[in-house]
Parts: sequence; structure tokens; C-alpha cells
Amino acid sequence: MHLFWIDFGTGLATAAVVALAATGLTLQFGITNYINFAYGDFMGLGALLTFALNNQAFHLNFWIAAPIAAILVGVFAVIANQLLLAPFARRFSNPALTMIVTFGLSLFMANVATVIWTGNTLFFRMPISVDKKVGPFLWSPDVMIVMGFAVLVMVMIHLLLKTTRLGKMMRALSDNTSLALTSGIDVRQITNVTWFMSGLLAGLGGIALAVEEANLTVTSAESYLFVIFAAVILGGIGSVYGAMLGALAIGLLTETAPLYINAGYKLDVGFFIVIVLLLFRPQGLVPRLGRS
Amino acid sequence: MPTMVADNISSGYGKNLIIRNISLEVDAKKVTTIVGPNGAGKSTFAKTVVGLLKAQTGSIVVNGDDLTKVPAYKIPGRGLAYVPQVQNVFVSMTVQENLEIGGFVTKGNTHDRMEEILATFKDLEKARHKRAGFLSGGQQNMLAIARALMVNPSVIVLDEPTAGLSPAYTNVVWEEIGRIAESGTAVLVVEQNVERAIVHSDYVHVFVAGQNHVHGTKEEIAQLDLASIFLGRSEATKS
Ligand SMILES: Nc1ncnc2c1ncn2[C@@H]1O[C@H](COP(=O)(O)OP(=O)(O)OP(=O)(O)O)[C@@H](O)[C@H]1O
Ligand SMILES: [Mg+2]
Repeated sequence: MHLFWIDFGTGLATAAVVALAATGLTLQFGITNYINFAYGDFMGLGALLTFALNNQAFHLNFWIAAPIAAILVGVFAVIANQLLLAPFARRFSNPALTMIVTFGLSLFMANVATVIWTGNTLFFRMPISVDKKVGPFLWSPDVMIVMGFAVLVMVMIHLLLKTTRLGKMMRALSDNTSLALTSGIDVRQITNVTWFMSGLLAGLGGIALAVEEANLTVTSAESYLFVIFAAVILGGIGSVYGAMLGALAIGLLTETAPLYINAGYKLDVGFFIVIVLLLFRPQGLVPRLGRS
Repeated sequence: MPTMVADNISSGYGKNLIIRNISLEVDAKKVTTIVGPNGAGKSTFAKTVVGLLKAQTGSIVVNGDDLTKVPAYKIPGRGLAYVPQVQNVFVSMTVQENLEIGGFVTKGNTHDRMEEILATFKDLEKARHKRAGFLSGGQQNMLAIARALMVNPSVIVLDEPTAGLSPAYTNVVWEEIGRIAESGTAVLVVEQNVERAIVHSDYVHVFVAGQNHVHGTKEEIAQLDLASIFLGRSEATKS
């Protein structure tokens, strides 16, 4: 029982990481209709740029380096879309073809990252944060900050989408692109904003992952990609609230799984869920109105 | 001066020209309809006018303002609103949100405009916080029209606004179209049903095989043997 609650607590921390990343992935999917397979590399880039700013250049405090790095990933996402993905998406009527381009981008980013940051395990330059007992859970103060931050970000995304003009335009675009266009929405501009937010959230997710794991390598975020996919698909791909719920479910499942199966397989739980869902319920578990 | 002048429009999908050299004018306070058989290019023409398809030849001018090269998203702000034939509402958004989206291009407060519109569209008022995907087909078309009206357009282009609706709701929609024209807007309607088009409109254009085959006042068009025109035979007056 005791072990279960500790794993449950770790599951909540993982859910925070997955929620940050999954909302970013699903927002972008909602408007482009193809999955970005370089998303794991976007996440990794956030953590690696934080490492660079915190440990290699400038030696910024971690809590200052992290938001700068996340913003840089957002900018990178906009540029990657403008220069690489959007031109292909305009050419191909089938979004699956652009998805293949994102595979290429992923390989490219992974290789460049390995050249720059090697395959070694890297550590942020920040005070060691010791696990504390909080009720039945065991969390370090840094992980609690990450969880609190993730909740804050989810609330902000909710407010953005439901109450602001920008958020409504993003939803309209995700609902029906050509109707959005003829209703007067500058589709290209909103698409860029969405890519920025997607990159920003990927970066934050990658950084949060490194904080939770207390270290990073150039591949650690990539290995989480299927966990993120699982959360997104579970919630109904393109649905932001679904992704939040999916993240919670997947976070708890992957972290409590080692109680029943070999811990080495915990990330494969995500992979397994993706396969089962795609076979039996590709539209996700959260009902959503048909997109057009 | 007509509110909208489309002159010598040719366009299509990719390199394929579907419509050729179509000219047509729409006047304020008048309902102008386009009729024609399936695949005649009516929707293609409408999409070209509102900037979704690029005109290969010709020009579109609204209130003396040349919109031919204007990007589609700027068109409603320039006085030309459009309601597509299908998928004409944001299904995952509420009725009120659909209307808000329609009003985004107008500067300043659109709240009053929304209340004004909801006051005339009683069904929508009742369903204000319902998601558009849960409305009936007729209500969805009404919402699509109401959304387009949010910009207070000079011209509204409606592509088959009554397709698939019950006879009763079809009448409701046509009455609304009449009111829109009365309020001063120039209305261009694509309509499948020729009889209905002739009853409800002032001026009728008959498209056949991508061309504006014949046009005239409703009285003039009523004289023609449209059945044979639709089948591609040259126009013959009814015997
Ligand atoms: N997206 C598209 N890509 C290629 N061809 C198209 C496309 N949409 C329509 N067409 C073709 O263009 C021609 C005209 O179609 P259009 O939709 O304009 O006809 P319509 O007069 O509106 O017919 P309907 O009464 O059935 O709505 C048809 O031959 C159709 O096959
Ligand atoms: Mg049509």
C-alpha cells in the first residue's frame, strides 16, 4: 500500500510532464492534421537549451534559463513550420506525407543534438532537491514546483481557449480551416501562433521531464514520445481537454506499472496503450463532436 | 451602380478550368440567384468570388473596391460575406461563439450586433449556448447566415442555403433571405430548385457547364424551357 502511494505520487509528477507536452502536441495536430514526430526532439531541445544556458554559456540560474529555452523552442517551431513543414503541407493534399517530413526533421535534430551535447548524461546546475514526505507521497520541492506550474499552465490554456479572441480563433481554425478563412481569420498568423505555443509547451515539457528525472541525455525526451502520443490519442487526438485527462491516466499507469511488471518496460506501457487504442477506439475515450 | 460586379471570371481547381468567362452583377436590396444542374460550376463561382479559389481571369469589385487579389481572410472585412454549401458552422463551438467569430473582423464592440441578430433569429437565441454540431440542419444554416451577417456586409453570397431542409424550414430561410435584402444588402443565392429561385428572387442566372448560359429577370427566365437548357440544348421558349 505504502509503495503504491509513492508510485502514485510519481505518477502525478509524470502526469504533469506529460500534460505539458501532450497539450502542445494536440494543439498543433488540431490545426495541421498531421502528427509531428519531431515533437520528442522539440522537448529535448528545451532541456538541452536550458542546460546550455545554465551550464555552458551565460551560466544563468536554472529558473531563468528554463523559460528562455522554452521560448526559443517556440520560435524554433515557428521557423521549422515556415521553412520546412508548411511548404510541404501546401504541396501535399495528404497530411500523412508531411508527417514523413517530420520524421526527417526528427532524425536531423537528434543527430545535431548528439554532435553538440554528446551522448553523456547531463545535469542542470541547481541545488539538489531532496524528496520530502507529503502525505503518502514522496516529492522533491522542484518536482512540486513543476506540478504546480503544470496545473497553472493547464488553467491558462483553458482560459485562453474559452475566453480570449486568440483562443477562439485557434479553436475555429482547428474546427474548420476553410470556414475560418472565409470568416475573416488570418489562418497563417494563427497557425504560427499555434506552432509557437506547441513548441513552447514541448520545451516546457522537456525541461519538466529533466527536472523530474534529475538529469537528461539527448535521447531521454524522445523515449517519452510514445507516452505523449498515448495521452493524446487516449483523450481524442486534437482535443486539448482530452489530452489533459489522457496525461493524468498515462502518468499514473506508467508509474504504477512497475508494481506489476518489470520496471524496464514502464515506457512500453504507453506504446501498448497506443496500439490497443488505435485498434479498438481510434477516436479516443473522450467523446468529441465530429470535426469537419 | 451595382454593389458587386464580377466580370469575366474563369477559375477552377489546379490547372483545370471549371468556369469560363462568367460575368454577373448583384444589386443592393435585390435577391439574385444562380441556378443550374449539378456540377455546373455554381459553387466554384461562389468560392472564386470570395477568394477561396484564384480567379484565372477577370475581376471582382464590391462598392468600387477591387477584391480580385485580396486574400480570402480579408474579404469579409471588405463587405463581402460568404456562407458555404456544406460545413458552414464551427461544430465544436457554441452558437454564441460562432457569431463572435463572425464579428472578429469588425473593429469595436460587436455585442450589440450579436443581440440584434439573435433578436431576429429566435431559434438561435434559444440555443445560444449549445454547440453548433448539435443543431438541426436548418438551424445550422440559419446560424451560418447569422454569422455571415455579423460583419454587416454589403453583399452576402449564400451557397444552397436550403439544401436538405424540410419544406417548412426552407420557407423560413427564404423569408429571412428576403428580409436581408430588404435591409439593404445585396444577396447572391445559389439554388438547386428553379421554381423556388424564380419565386423568391429578382434576377436569375442560369449556369450550364461552367458558363453563364442565360440570365434575366424572374419573369424573363420563367418564360424559358429550363429543362432543355439544363440538358445542354440551346434555349427555347416554353411552348
Ligand atoms: N475540390 C475540387 N477539386 C476538383 N474538382 C472539383 C472540386 N470541387 C468541384 N469540382 C468539380 O467542379 C465541377 C463544378 O462543381 P461545383 O461544385 O462548382 O458545381 P455546382 O454547380 O455547385 O454543383 P452542385 O449543384 O452539385 O452543388 C464539377 O465537375 C466538380 O466535379
Ligand atoms: Mg454547389
